[in-house]
Amino acid sequence: MKGIITGVLGFVFGAILTASQAFEWGRIQQMFHFESFHMFGLILSAIATAALSLVIIKKWKIKSIYGNDIIIHPKPIRKFGNIIGGLSYGMGWGLTGACAGPVFILIGVHWSIGLIVFVGAVLGTVLYGVLSEKLPK
Amino acid sequence: MENVLPWYIGGPLLGLIVPLVLILREKQLGISSSLKYVGSLFAFKVPFFNYDRKKDLWQIQFTLGIIISAVLFNQLGLISPPEIESSKDYVEQMSHIYELDNWLLFLIGGLLVGFGARYANGCTAGHCIMGNAQLSLSSLITTICFFIGGLVAVHIVLPLIEIL
Repeated sequence: MKGIITGVLGFVFGAILTASQAFEWGRIQQMFHFESFHMFGLILSAIATAALSLVIIKKWKIKSIYGNDIIIHPKPIRKFGNIIGGLSYGMGWGLTGACAGPVFILIGVHWSIGLIVFVGAVLGTVLYGVLSEKLPK
Repeated sequence: MENVLPWYIGGPLLGLIVPLVLILREKQLGISSSLKYVGSLFAFKVPFFNYDRKKDLWQIQFTLGIIISAVLFNQLGLISPPEIESSKDYVEQMSHIYELDNWLLFLIGGLLVGFGARYANGCTAGHCIMGNAQLSLSSLITTICFFIGGLVAVHIVLPLIEIL
């Protein structure tokens, strides 16, 4: 049941990203050329809505459907990781137009290219895994 | 521009996924750990992947939902390339970027995304949306670096490799 709920949430998330063209290479190029407000508006209004939701959850002590308190874990700062990892990720995003979510949309829309990005992303994850103990945190 | 869901509808809907995932699944939105899950299926000898992968299983379910929605949109013919008017070179390139001739670009780009997401401990969903919404300094720094990396890729790397 939990799996189905999660799948449906993923379906909705994917549908919004697809309908708003956030996975399109051209949209990402347009964003990094500062030629349209579309992607900026999408990301900023998503952050604002999410932030407001978190305030409401905290203020009204909203519980999960399983009756538990909702605990939000902080994201620890990783000086090198946030910067070097962020730069690497951003370059991949700029080259392919695909960040992590859109990789899976590409699999559904342009499956051959999508699978190539996916294989690359898994290999990149494994590369990090292999190097993780040698890289500065 | 008529074939695109406007940002002022799409953005808030995306943002609402954050509380929905918290309330319905008790998870903080993120996607890139699904890649770690997949990696752990075959690279289990690497200590980094020797972990309790069950905690990331929900992201596999989430990404399967994403794939199904994309397949459905595609089958229903609801996907049309963005209509972008610009004097910049990428507009012409846009129409054939997804051709297999560009496989190396997409493989290397994917590699940078996978490596970067794990090193930075999150992706556009986990850092840009979830992390910034919880006012995490780590996510703000990462988001700024995402953008700097993207600017370098688009304005320096793509012209160098003659994609643009």
